[in-house]
Amino acid sequence: MLAFLVQRISQAVLVMFVISVIAFAIQDGLGDPLQEMVGMSVSMEEREAIREELGLNDSMVVQYLRFAGNAVQGDLGNSYFYGKPTLEVIFEHLPATLELVIGASLIIMLLSVPIGVYAAIRPQALLAKFFMGVSTVGISIPVFLTAIVLIQIYSIGVTVEWFPVDTGWGQWLNGALSTDGGMPSYGRGDDLTHLFGTWYSGFFSEIGLMHLVLPCVSLASIMLPLFIRLIRAEMMEVLQSDYIRYARAKGLSAVRINFLHALKNTMLPVITVGGVQVGVMVAYTILTETVFQWPGVGLMFLEAITRSDIPLIVAYLMVVGLIFVITNTLVDLVYGLVNPTVKLTGKKA
Amino acid sequence: MKSDTPLLEVKDLDVRFAVRGGDLTALRGISFSLDKGERLGLVGESGAGKSVAAFSILNLIARPGYIAGGQILFEGKDLAAMSERELRKIRGNRIAMIFQDPMMTLNPVLSIGTQMVEAIKAHRRVSTKAARDIALSKLRKVQIPSPEKRLDQYPHELSGGMRQRVIIAIALLLDPEIIVADEPTTALDVTIQAEIMALLLDLCEQENVALMLITHDLGVVSQVTQRMLVMYSGRIIEQGPTREIINDAQHPYTQGLINALPQMGEPGARLFQIPGSMPSLKNVPTGCPFHPRCDFATDQCRKTMPEYVRSGNVDVACYEVSNLIEQEKNMQEAGS
Amino acid sequence: MTTATLSRWNRFRESFLWYSFKRDKVAIASFIVLLLMVFAAIFAPLFAPTDPYDLAQIDIMNSELPPVGMPGADPAFPLGTDAQGRDMLSTILYGTRVSLLIGFGAVVLQAALGILFGLLAGYLGGRVDSILMRIADVQLSFSTLMVAIIVGAVFKASFGNLMFGEIAIYMLIFIIGIAEWPQIARTVRASVLAEKKKEYVDAAKVMGFRTNRIMFRHILPNTLSPIFVIATVQIANAIISEAALSFLGLGMPETQPSLGSLIKSGFDYIQSGSWWITLIPGLVLVVLVLVINLLGDWLRDVMNPRLYKG
Repeated sequence: MLAFLVQRISQAVLVMFVISVIAFAIQDGLGDPLQEMVGMSVSMEEREAIREELGLNDSMVVQYLRFAGNAVQGDLGNSYFYGKPTLEVIFEHLPATLELVIGASLIIMLLSVPIGVYAAIRPQALLAKFFMGVSTVGISIPVFLTAIVLIQIYSIGVTVEWFPVDTGWGQWLNGALSTDGGMPSYGRGDDLTHLFGTWYSGFFSEIGLMHLVLPCVSLASIMLPLFIRLIRAEMMEVLQSDYIRYARAKGLSAVRINFLHALKNTMLPVITVGGVQVGVMVAYTILTETVFQWPGVGLMFLEAITRSDIPLIVAYLMVVGLIFVITNTLVDLVYGLVNPTVKLTGKKA
Repeated sequence: MKSDTPLLEVKDLDVRFAVRGGDLTALRGISFSLDKGERLGLVGESGAGKSVAAFSILNLIARPGYIAGGQILFEGKDLAAMSERELRKIRGNRIAMIFQDPMMTLNPVLSIGTQMVEAIKAHRRVSTKAARDIALSKLRKVQIPSPEKRLDQYPHELSGGMRQRVIIAIALLLDPEIIVADEPTTALDVTIQAEIMALLLDLCEQENVALMLITHDLGVVSQVTQRMLVMYSGRIIEQGPTREIINDAQHPYTQGLINALPQMGEPGARLFQIPGSMPSLKNVPTGCPFHPRCDFATDQCRKTMPEYVRSGNVDVACYEVSNLIEQEKNMQEAGS
Repeated sequence: MTTATLSRWNRFRESFLWYSFKRDKVAIASFIVLLLMVFAAIFAPLFAPTDPYDLAQIDIMNSELPPVGMPGADPAFPLGTDAQGRDMLSTILYGTRVSLLIGFGAVVLQAALGILFGLLAGYLGGRVDSILMRIADVQLSFSTLMVAIIVGAVFKASFGNLMFGEIAIYMLIFIIGIAEWPQIARTVRASVLAEKKKEYVDAAKVMGFRTNRIMFRHILPNTLSPIFVIATVQIANAIISEAALSFLGLGMPETQPSLGSLIKSGFDYIQSGSWWITLIPGLVLVVLVLVINLLGDWLRDVMNPRLYKG
């Protein structure tokens, strides 16, 4: 267990080092702190003096070490736009993103497992084929497009007048296909509950929850087909194995075979892939938050790019990198705990 | 030794595989019976349909295979026509199975104890504690060292031989009438094979369990079983008392199998081989499926499938054998 | 047609690939749709009623006209007009062209990188392998889209908006190619590892061929079918990535729109009821990506290559 932890943590540190070098390179290559700090009127000599004072004339290594040292102490500089520490800005925006991710993950977990398992057990069933068809279409729709369509249908509303209005069935069809809209599609709403620190939550009020619906569904829509396809493929492979046949030969019930023997073996690779997908999910939050003007770190990052707020961009990269590294390490740990064939020594038994 | 109704009677069993472009016949007109406590060997090359026959007894053929005809009568009830629900009461409970590869048979993510207890609880209303006690007693029977520890271990923590012992213990859990063992020792080290086989034989004798042993090893069959079936290309071509077949095989294929055994040749001499190889299911020859490899093949063999004839206590499907019997009969009649 | 190509054609017609293609209605339909879209995109200047790049042909008075079939439509603009008065049909044809160009270009680049690094990692093994695969792992755990967004953001910040707009096509090909090479590299590496064990590689070594020659002339041809399968899917992914980057404002400028930037520019007008500006290019994008994905699925089923799993 200890060896496993040490190995994973040293790996994580290495990855963080690489990320910090990249972040530093971006800061060094793009940011010119002087431009922000002083006006045009300052003379060359004064500029040079300030450069010296700020340590900008030091060697790259010294500058990097200073950057890394500050980063470890939680100082990633001040945001040009917000005029306060970047980490503070990020922590103000992080809860919104986390709630979006939590909501989407819940939808994904609650739907992908039963649908994937069903499609694996009854591959020939019409409903299973329907689910798989929808999944194939689903992975072909970019997340922002799903979001836009959802906004059109549930927020703006659709009036269908394709069918003759002078007939009963025409009216009924028009009505059935039309939607009222009205679902909120902008921001988080004004009824947030303060939990702690900078965490204001939308989970505890109707307005907050209503605002979560469309963004969470959009974000889930891109990952859901992927997980359904993955779970189905893994489960079908497991169902072919000897131990499943043996379980049937022992006279076990179909429920026990499918949901204990097969599902447990199916979920192991799914956990690993799922961990990697957390990274993908963070990338998709940027798109989702842009469409819904959701005040999370994704939107903040994009705004920082358009405002050339270099310290904030760099800080975002560092924080997101840290989140990836932590989740990947956690996923490895969980995998080791769930899978008895992995002794937590870092090696597969 | 034979009672009136056998414990298990398979009648005219046909098994097919539904594949693109029509069905492939994997088993054709299989008939045999098994008495209480009897040990029956099922011999043939790989691809002859031995495993399909083993799995079809529990109606466990994997898709796209299916039972196309015939009956599998267990205590008079037809397993081929039974509902999944009723079948479940028999699987593992009255008829247990031992698979080929112990490395693949046990579920890797469940402990040995879980996999034993669940088998008991699927058929008996007992407490987990009582089920564990049964499991322990069976683990002792298969002579596993420190059985208490094994219950909490996972399959990958045991060696291959140890796992096969566990699987034998699971087969014995509910005191079944029949154990179907599909090449139970092929996947093991040679040194352990004999040990496991001796254990299986011992336990079957002790508990008076009928054993259906599927193997390609004629040596094992001759040591363990009382009767044997020889399969070729989905058909039984010869069946009868093991000793009689081993000592005086009738079918040219069985003769070839026996002559191919190393101990049958002179030391240093080239081993005998049956020329050619078994046809695949996709192009089974017309007539007797063995005819392309048979020295005695005639036009009749190429056209029609031979019926079974009895020679001593052995049933054989071969025109050569039936002609010989005919000749003998004629000679006897002529002589009398 | 020479005899060589003729016999090749005959061989193709007798192959399993052609046989299973003929039997698969979804594959045929996808292929036809894709062919039509590629054709329309390549010859966009011939089919498009107007040239969306030519400001002289645009009349702001025609802005936000709905598509034909809705009240207020103008038959001169079958799919309506966007907020600047550009003909939607023309912008979509030109946009598909840009999206396809970037998709193909990015896949060519990532295939070049992926094949090179995958071959090196798989064939040389050892330290080269572990370093390259570590980079691939980290990049994949960050997700290709995230890497593309970061690289795009850095480029945009360093080049400035105007400059970036001018060379945006090349930038996007570069960004997406760089972001997605690990996918192909892993697949190549996996098949190289499998091929390496085979006798013909030993034979080539014994015959004294140089490493380069063995890698490119002997091993590479045997890894082509998985590369082909994954490259097909990667075109779809590249088109989606491009659309996502453009939607975020890190891609094609509105003056040379791709499907993604069309969706983005239309999104601002969806609240005012002009859904067609964003949803029609959206539909075209989905159909394009869907048919490529369906063809990719079909190819994977038919060729059944050793793809990198997980």
